[in-house]
Amino acid sequence: MYQYDALDKEFLADRSAEFRHQVARRLAGEITEDQFKPLRLMNGLYLQLHAYMLRIAIPYGTLNVAQLRKLAWVARTYDKGYGHFTTRTNLQFHWIKLRDMPDILDALAEVDLHAIQTSGNCIRNVTADPRAGATAEEVDDPRVWAEVIRQWSTLHPEFTYLPRKFKIAVTASAKDRTAAKTHDIGLSLRRERDGTLGFEVMVGGGLGRTPYIGKTVREHLPVARLLSYLDAILRVYNRHGRRDNPAKARIKILVAQLGIEEFARQVEAEWALIDASKVDLPDTELARIRGFFTRPDFATLPRVSDAFDAARAADPGLARFARNNVHPHKVAGYAIVDVSLKSIGATPGDASAEQLEVLADLAERYSLGEARVTHEQNIVLPHVKLDDLAAVYAGLKAAELASPNINLVSDIIACPGLDYCALANARAIPVAQDIARRFENADRAELVGELKIKISGCINACGHHHVGHIGILGVDKKGEEFYQLTLGGSGAEDAEVGKSLGPALPANRVGQAIEDLVEVYLRERKGDERFLDTFRRTGVEPFKEAVYAEAH
Amino acid sequence: MKALTANRLIDGEVVFWSSGRWVERFGEAELFTDDVPADDAEGRAKSEVTVVIDPYLIEVAETDGGAAPISYRERLRALGPTNTPEHGKQALGGHDIEVIAHASGGARSGGRLNLIKRK
Repeated sequence: MYQYDALDKEFLADRSAEFRHQVARRLAGEITEDQFKPLRLMNGLYLQLHAYMLRIAIPYGTLNVAQLRKLAWVARTYDKGYGHFTTRTNLQFHWIKLRDMPDILDALAEVDLHAIQTSGNCIRNVTADPRAGATAEEVDDPRVWAEVIRQWSTLHPEFTYLPRKFKIAVTASAKDRTAAKTHDIGLSLRRERDGTLGFEVMVGGGLGRTPYIGKTVREHLPVARLLSYLDAILRVYNRHGRRDNPAKARIKILVAQLGIEEFARQVEAEWALIDASKVDLPDTELARIRGFFTRPDFATLPRVSDAFDAARAADPGLARFARNNVHPHKVAGYAIVDVSLKSIGATPGDASAEQLEVLADLAERYSLGEARVTHEQNIVLPHVKLDDLAAVYAGLKAAELASPNINLVSDIIACPGLDYCALANARAIPVAQDIARRFENADRAELVGELKIKISGCINACGHHHVGHIGILGVDKKGEEFYQLTLGGSGAEDAEVGKSLGPALPANRVGQAIEDLVEVYLRERKGDERFLDTFRRTGVEPFKEAVYAEAH
Repeated sequence: MKALTANRLIDGEVVFWSSGRWVERFGEAELFTDDVPADDAEGRAKSEVTVVIDPYLIEVAETDGGAAPISYRERLRALGPTNTPEHGKQALGGHDIEVIAHASGGARSGGRLNLIKRK
């Protein structure tokens, strides 16, 4: 992964010292809350319902061992012993005290972590495929390009005060694990028939009040031209984005209003005006960055591990874990391990300090020192030897991290909701917990197969409900928590916004409704159809009938 | 009835006004039956800019056994998150916590008065 140099470290130390001074001035009454609020937000510090919340950037979801251990230490020292991984692959602490913030930023800076650009109308933390560098599916390492964008976008003077926040995701596999089409810009690396690498550039995706799936603005952007082309998009957006109305200020609204052809024309015209030699990354610099992502020192191993096969045959729990959480690696004898932060009854995305330390230990011992955060609020150990899978499973199991439910019905995305968030209208976490408990039987969950449930506690859609196979949106209906269900959404390469099932349901009917929907699917499905495939074939009617039948 | 609440600047803790000082328990909050003293307290609180952030009045109703905020959101602020009963004020237990935990109904935003700023 990228290593901070002396300049990076000096910058972070300066930034931390600056914020220490700003906090002192705020506490002394030398600046008002109105003056201080934008400063704390620029350092990731929000005020939520019960305390301050600190959002820490995890660039393209990549964490090393020292960072995991430091996050555990911060959780234990300054929070209530846990952190919450988000759909932007960041980590949030929910019980932070303002007086501790300067020390926390210093501690994070020791391991090259910070909270810059995790808030505000700027280019936010860039996300990438959590299997980068490990999957055989990719045509290049997306982290290289995510790092290029991170460096370009960090404190970019022209793009620090955009009309609204701006999110970029990079994938290099046909299978999209980044929800690229729900981002302001989604970049999908492709290799052309002539061997050249290029990006399919998708723009104007986004969720929230008005969900849009990103549209392709350019089929093949030569990789060397990435930064000037991003400059052109951002300039068109910066000039024409609706600063007058925050609800219409995201680039998705501009793209929808202009139409993708006109937007593309304006971007091309702007691109032609840019002096590419001053913006595009020189080959030497790209090579320098690529040097941080060289192939790790993999051992030469047989494709099959007798030890693992024997352990799997002897332990049905390990066998189930392997079926659902272990994926092929590009190197023989290795595997990619998904660690679910969705054990039954737990808060989706939460990890305790102890669990973070276990993950650090396992990453250090068995995964070449690396872990990744996924946008589905799980963790990946990207480089595990097949020979070590049983030991990794045992270590995870001891820390209650071995739930074998990746992509299954209980692998639910949920935002913090009204339990923590000042913007929320309804709770999301208890809904997720209830559904997970209903599908606690692992055999049944596997029988149901891939089913992505995503829950948001308000229309801002941090829980990605629009693109859930089943989406659940909490609303406040005359003072009670109600939930609107949508079906048929997808955040993957077949991205689609879900369709409304019908009137919102009271909180106590949501769990049963999910069970009813699953029963309809099991009744209607043909062959190996996923829930999503069956829904796309049958349409909403049989599902609607099952949920609302008794209400009529 | 009304109560006055805010988050404390230095640590973000939810606090309630009680006769000129800030307390952490809703059960110790001053309850206003008249508008004038409530508005006066809010005015004083707003001047305490190095102590609290964004003080505001909330609606409170008498329920079985005692007073509780009408708004569900405000009850959550007075208790803590429902997914971790060991965190927040609810962990302290006591009669006032029990009363709030058993109250029901109420709008998320309905409990906050003067949400629309008058010019």
